[in-house]
Amino acid sequence: MNSAHEDQFTVYEVFSQKNPASGFVHQFSLLAPNHEAALLMARENFMRREPCINIWVVNREDIHGLTPEERTSLERLDNKSYRETKGYGDVQAKWRRHKEAYESKAAFTQKGG
Amino acid sequence: MSNRTDPDRALDNERLAKFLERIDRGDKIEADDWMPDDYRNQLIKLISMHGVSEIMGALPEKEWVPKAPTLRRKLAIMAKVQDEMGHGQLLLRVVEDLLAPLGKNRDDLLQDLFSGRLKFHNVFHMEAPTWADAGVIAWLVDGAAIITQTMSLETSYAPYARALQRICAEEKFHAQHGESIVLELAEGTPAQRQMLQDAVTRWWPSLLMFFGPPEGGTVSSNQLLNMRYKIRSQTNEELRQVFFHKYVHRIYHLGLTLPDDTIRYDEAEGVWHYQQPDWDRFVQIVRGNGPCSAQRLRLRKTSYEEAKWVRDAMLAAPRAEHMAGGRL
Amino acid sequence: MSEHSYVETAEEARRNPEYVRALQELLFQAADDDYILAYRGAEWLGLAPHIEEDVAFSSMSQDMMGHAAMLYEMLEELGAGKADDLAHMRSPDAFRNAIIIERPNGTGDYADQPHYDWAYAIARYSLYGVFKQIRLEALAYSTYVPLAQAAGKMQREHHYHVRYWHMWFKRLASSTDDARARLNAALEQVWSDIGELFLLGRASASIVGFGLIAGEDDISQRWMNATRNMFASNGIDWPGDWGVPVQKGREGQHTDDLAQAVSTLSEVYRLDPAASW
Repeated sequence: MNSAHEDQFTVYEVFSQKNPASGFVHQFSLLAPNHEAALLMARENFMRREPCINIWVVNREDIHGLTPEERTSLERLDNKSYRETKGYGDVQAKWRRHKEAYESKAAFTQKGG
Repeated sequence: MSNRTDPDRALDNERLAKFLERIDRGDKIEADDWMPDDYRNQLIKLISMHGVSEIMGALPEKEWVPKAPTLRRKLAIMAKVQDEMGHGQLLLRVVEDLLAPLGKNRDDLLQDLFSGRLKFHNVFHMEAPTWADAGVIAWLVDGAAIITQTMSLETSYAPYARALQRICAEEKFHAQHGESIVLELAEGTPAQRQMLQDAVTRWWPSLLMFFGPPEGGTVSSNQLLNMRYKIRSQTNEELRQVFFHKYVHRIYHLGLTLPDDTIRYDEAEGVWHYQQPDWDRFVQIVRGNGPCSAQRLRLRKTSYEEAKWVRDAMLAAPRAEHMAGGRL
Repeated sequence: MSEHSYVETAEEARRNPEYVRALQELLFQAADDDYILAYRGAEWLGLAPHIEEDVAFSSMSQDMMGHAAMLYEMLEELGAGKADDLAHMRSPDAFRNAIIIERPNGTGDYADQPHYDWAYAIARYSLYGVFKQIRLEALAYSTYVPLAQAAGKMQREHHYHVRYWHMWFKRLASSTDDARARLNAALEQVWSDIGELFLLGRASASIVGFGLIAGEDDISQRWMNATRNMFASNGIDWPGDWGVPVQKGREGQHTDDLAQAVSTLSEVYRLDPAASW
């Protein structure tokens, strides 16, 4: 009735969740006639050995991503240390200094007293 | 200069230069990235052969699923055959995405397999007449496959690398499943040991052939291209040498012999010397003239064609559900 | 079933030979059904209509063979013999599966020129799936506690099988004219055998008497209700009275197809049953 080229299987991207604390992770893609069949085939195709508590399948056409050119805009300058803990490396040293100053002052007072 | 009069070509050259820069930098290429036609074609050639080999590879072992000697072995080999089909699925999906811009799909790949245009690995053209063959296939053929696949994990094409990562994890289970069968036979009765020895003897030439002919100093243009694009960087001979390192001693440790009196390791050169298999025969086998080539292809082709109505049914738009009064 | 007393262990069961005889009979029925149908599924390996489908189908055959193995092990504890001997060394007349289970997938050998019928596979797995669901639900109330517990575990895996085959059933019923015609033809074939599935064999009275499982009429009634719904929601007319095969599989009468299956399944094991494989 239909040649294979007119009527195609749909590509579904498969995501799965390992445990309630983890997010969904992309696994792979499969060909299925509809989302129901995709859901029923997903675990046995990609998670035969891994734990899995939930599955999503998404028609690839419904996924909006960046083009290769747009992806280059994700690169950023290495000047945002203020966003990360490593940008606050001096804090611990300062606390240590304050603690030491306090303790030596206390020791001096004790001796003096 | 023709570049100046042909802006398209100039653009392509610029893209190619950038692409090669990325390859040299060790960047990974994704399916929607621009890529030169010969990169795409090399990938299609390599991965489609790999993919259909997995699917054809399910057939010799499938013969042993019902016959496997115990319930546990039946289950294990069924899981293994399932993995082979699963690997075929992963690899075909990767090729399908590469083929899509060319207007081709999975059906075209299978038609190419049936017509003989698309070849599959020499090992899957061979007979597996005993249970020990099932063990040797899982131990040594999968062992050989782990070597080539692990070496390809670094491939520049990211979707292939992701598929290979999944595949390699499962191949390790396959090799252990094979080792378990082989060890049981090696520790078993004289008849079991003989069955194992016969299978090793039978499979040895095919295992040597698995890696392809040695380069002998001249590397084919095909391989040069794969190396330039970092699709696959080891030569056939390098991979075969890794195989010898890993398995020859293990075969001896089981008290088994190899059908090659000349095989030896040269410490000074760091190289295994061995008797070459019949490479003319190799060419014949891969062309589809192996002992089981026709039968296995027919099996795959018949089942695919006879199930066309099922795929048509899967793809047909569903009729209205809850129809009143169906017909039986 | 509260009037029955529960049996907690194999040891306890073995103190009552009549109980054990009835229990073994029932266990062989359930184990052999799953074992032989898993074998039929294994013949399909690599040959299913779609690659993703092949992979998923294999999992279900593994689950079924796994269930059979659990039941053979239970039989081993009850003194019936080693599980692997039960799977490989019995003659066909010791098998208690229903005839519909042993019917071939089509014509031809699984390794050479098989002409298998996917519509028959869907019809058989769907209708057996409904039956197995009901049998497992009934077994969850069995007086033999290890069996009731095992049935509960199996139900979890089997639930997936039921969803899966229903999806296919619906698909074939509601897609092309060709698919629907093939499904109908396959259902007709299955229908002529299906009545035997509910039978409990010669030990029926004591199986039910000991509270091992609900009776034949009870099970078949539940199956009919579930199947009627499935047919109605897919626009398939109820085919009327079902048939039973000439041979009585539950009493050890089988077709040559089972003899062939058993000889394939035991080919290697029989080379040396005393050896370790």
